[in-house]
Amino acid sequence: MDTMSPLERVLRGIAITLVILFFMFPIFWIFLMSFQTNETILRVPPSIVFEPTIANYQALLTGRLETAAGTLEIRFMRNLFNSLFLSTASVALALVLGIPAAYAFARLKFRGSEEIAFTLLSFRFAPPLLVLLPLVIYFQQIGLANTYIGLIWVYQLICLPLILWIVRGYFEDIPADIEHAYRIAGHRWFTTFRKVALPLAGPGIAAAGLLAFIFAWNNFIFALVLASADKQPVTVGALAFVTASGIQFGQIAAAIVLSIAPVFALALYAQRYLVEGLSLGAVKG
Amino acid sequence: MSDATLATPPMRRFRVSRRALPYLLSLPALLACILILIPFATAVGYSLQRYRLSQPWAREWNWGQNYVDLFNDPAFWNTLRVSLSYAFVVVGIELLLGLGIALLLQRRTRFNNFVSIMLLMPLMTAPALAALMWKLMTNPGFGILSYFMALIGFPDFRWAASPNTAFLTVVLVDVWVYTPFIMILLLAGLRSLPQQPFEAAALDGVPRLFVFWRITLPMLTPYLLTAVLFRMIESIQQFDIIYAMTQGGPGNRLTVFQVEAYLNFFQATNVGRSAAILMILWVITYILSTIFIKNWLRLREKTRAGA
Amino acid sequence: MTIKLTDVVKSFKNEVVLDGVSLSVEAGETLVLFGPSGAGKTVLLRLIAGVIDPDEGRIEVNGRDMEGVEPEDRGMGMAFQNFALFPHMTAFDNIASPLTARRQNRTTLKAGVESVAKLLKIDHVLGHMPKALSNGQKQRTALARALAAKPNVLLLDDPLRNVDAKLRFEMRLELPRLLKQQNATVIYVTQDYKEAMAFGDRIAVMDGHGIRQVGTPEHIYLRPASTKIASLFGDPAINLLEVRPERGEHGVQVRLSGRAIPLDRRHAASIGHDCLLGVRPETIRFVPEGTPGAVPVEVEAETPLNEKTVTLVWTRQRREIMVSRPSGSIGPAHGRAWIVIDPGHAMLFDKESGARIDPSSDAAALQGEVA
Repeated sequence: MDTMSPLERVLRGIAITLVILFFMFPIFWIFLMSFQTNETILRVPPSIVFEPTIANYQALLTGRLETAAGTLEIRFMRNLFNSLFLSTASVALALVLGIPAAYAFARLKFRGSEEIAFTLLSFRFAPPLLVLLPLVIYFQQIGLANTYIGLIWVYQLICLPLILWIVRGYFEDIPADIEHAYRIAGHRWFTTFRKVALPLAGPGIAAAGLLAFIFAWNNFIFALVLASADKQPVTVGALAFVTASGIQFGQIAAAIVLSIAPVFALALYAQRYLVEGLSLGAVKG
Repeated sequence: MSDATLATPPMRRFRVSRRALPYLLSLPALLACILILIPFATAVGYSLQRYRLSQPWAREWNWGQNYVDLFNDPAFWNTLRVSLSYAFVVVGIELLLGLGIALLLQRRTRFNNFVSIMLLMPLMTAPALAALMWKLMTNPGFGILSYFMALIGFPDFRWAASPNTAFLTVVLVDVWVYTPFIMILLLAGLRSLPQQPFEAAALDGVPRLFVFWRITLPMLTPYLLTAVLFRMIESIQQFDIIYAMTQGGPGNRLTVFQVEAYLNFFQATNVGRSAAILMILWVITYILSTIFIKNWLRLREKTRAGA
Repeated sequence: MTIKLTDVVKSFKNEVVLDGVSLSVEAGETLVLFGPSGAGKTVLLRLIAGVIDPDEGRIEVNGRDMEGVEPEDRGMGMAFQNFALFPHMTAFDNIASPLTARRQNRTTLKAGVESVAKLLKIDHVLGHMPKALSNGQKQRTALARALAAKPNVLLLDDPLRNVDAKLRFEMRLELPRLLKQQNATVIYVTQDYKEAMAFGDRIAVMDGHGIRQVGTPEHIYLRPASTKIASLFGDPAINLLEVRPERGEHGVQVRLSGRAIPLDRRHAASIGHDCLLGVRPETIRFVPEGTPGAVPVEVEAETPLNEKTVTLVWTRQRREIMVSRPSGSIGPAHGRAWIVIDPGHAMLFDKESGARIDPSSDAAALQGEVA
């Protein structure tokens, strides 16, 4: 590998440049757009030289948009809050449900454990609408329609398998003797779980939680089907925003930037665990 | 400690028997499991009923009629064709591109690691938002990509709005979002391969192309399979990008399974038909995911053994 | 505390690990579980500790059935082969863990940890995390943790396995004294026969999923139940020579290179049967030419092993014999030499079964009558 010909070096350089250009350009361009007014956006030919404005962000944050036609109310901050709340609560619930189960599946192999684990895994691959459509009707009947609780429950479809399978892997990595030693020292099962298993699997649990948060945040279809405007997260809200604000392109771009920035930050923080999370624990990065 | 300490059975605390403990621990997950299985069973029921939200009074079991109707309907065959070609085209492109990039970034240098982390950004973008970004870039009025197309001689390139290019435009967005997924999995795979065969081949002066086909690819197979099957299962169910981009249009160009089912449910309010479409999709994904899980488990065992 | 196992059976996924093991350990004694790896020693120890359950059989401690008694209620101390220290706790907290479980107050706890740490000479590293400890310190911390609560039963799973030779040597001198001080019933697992002989009041030899012989170290060494057990103890291993006892001038004898070696006359029952003569290398002596009964041999190779020197010799029939003698004593010149086998220490084994033929037992006599 160290003996690369000059031609190969050049070709590799070009290839990597093209790759970076293709994958980074849209993000870069939308980022620029979010600091532009409609006038500069609509310029022909487009240019990266413009006077940046934070008006778009201001409009989104204050929730009102001053236009020639009057003041328009923007509910984007509500969407942002919904995303944050839904994702956080879903991950919290998935951790509460998933960690004990992950521990049971990792340590206390029992009859039927693999079957349950695989059923949960298969949810990750079933068409979500298959479960969502009956729920539209059920939720109406039991009063869960357009509630956070209903949505949080449905979000378990993506969060729970992820938490379960990743955390299970981390529990399996703890040598059983360490837990045995703590029990023999005289501690109850639950104390051992709390004082030994949980702290040692801690980094893995945190990573799994972050990843589940990202997946919940990025989800679109659940809220599209089950939530109306006041409960919608950014993914659905931004789409609705396009139709509502019509031609305020800079604001749409700013909304996109605000919606993807938190996820980028988390992903950067958890990137060591990303491969493992994306492959549901099958591959380590 | 005296002998007496041990002789008195501890009665102070409530004790869970050893046999019951694992069941108790997995009970919450088990409950979630069951709660999700109920709507699934309901959906199976719907698919066997004549059921329109607009005509609840006419609801009745018609057993296989929804499926018979589907198989006699060209719209369904269009859905099947579009879904399969979408899945094969995106996975094919993403695989080639992802493998190529992984090979480019294989060496652990600071620069390569930085690039591979940067490339994760599209993957971390919500697909629905990614679609929105590309919509802004392909806007006929001010879209930068429309401008580029005009520069190279396509002044009125309509992207997702034209029946001729809608499919390719959506494929492009999918490729933008998900290529990094295959790339990062294969990169992890490449970097975990044992080095001896490569060193031996280098010492013997084996041609690089030969090394790639005969050593790299075979050793990478479990990773390739996992990545491809994973993407296959996801892309045959793709909804977010297509719905956010074109809502299945123009016409029925992009009415893939889930979009078609969604439109049947919410626009045509035909619950029975919608459920039947989803059941057929479920059968396809079930078969794929069975193969996937087998392969995924093997890889997981390997990873755990190496840990 | 006494420990009693009755017909304990354990298998993992259809693979039998323990096939009906019975064993009793006296209060205050040190019993060594000795055997090759895979014999089930570690599993047996874990069954006693209660971290795994037997499929069948009873485990009693002081007469009380342990079924359903959780490991934390058994009041035992255990040290693991891989140390199993809690990686997220300091050495102090590791050692203190049995004391916190017993809800000791801060001062007694601190005193308890410090005294046992002093005993094991690790009082200067109590603030360290396990990964900052050397292997030897890790091992001592693990031992200290097992001892901290002064348990009545101590289970030690090959604690010297993963430490270097120098440390193992030190601990071999130190540990028996330490264990005696504890006044506990100790079960000590090892694969090293020297450790087994040095530490054990009694040794239980495990092999092939069960216990094959239990006895004092001397008993096992001098009266091993089979060739297999005889070969496990002693370095170099016991010489096993194919012989067929015959009637001689003074009773029973075997022939080696034409020279008769007399055996206990009670071996009469074995006359005419194919047997193995077991002779420990240290019971063979080099003698000057012409000594009565001396067997002529060819000296093949000589290896000095610290305190002893081992010589490999060949008989005229090219049979290999190991002879060991204290280093510094006069050995043979190269080439031809003469050896004498001490008939008092020679053992006779049945060639087919490998079982030792005990001349004093009725079984041997009976066997003779049938033949």
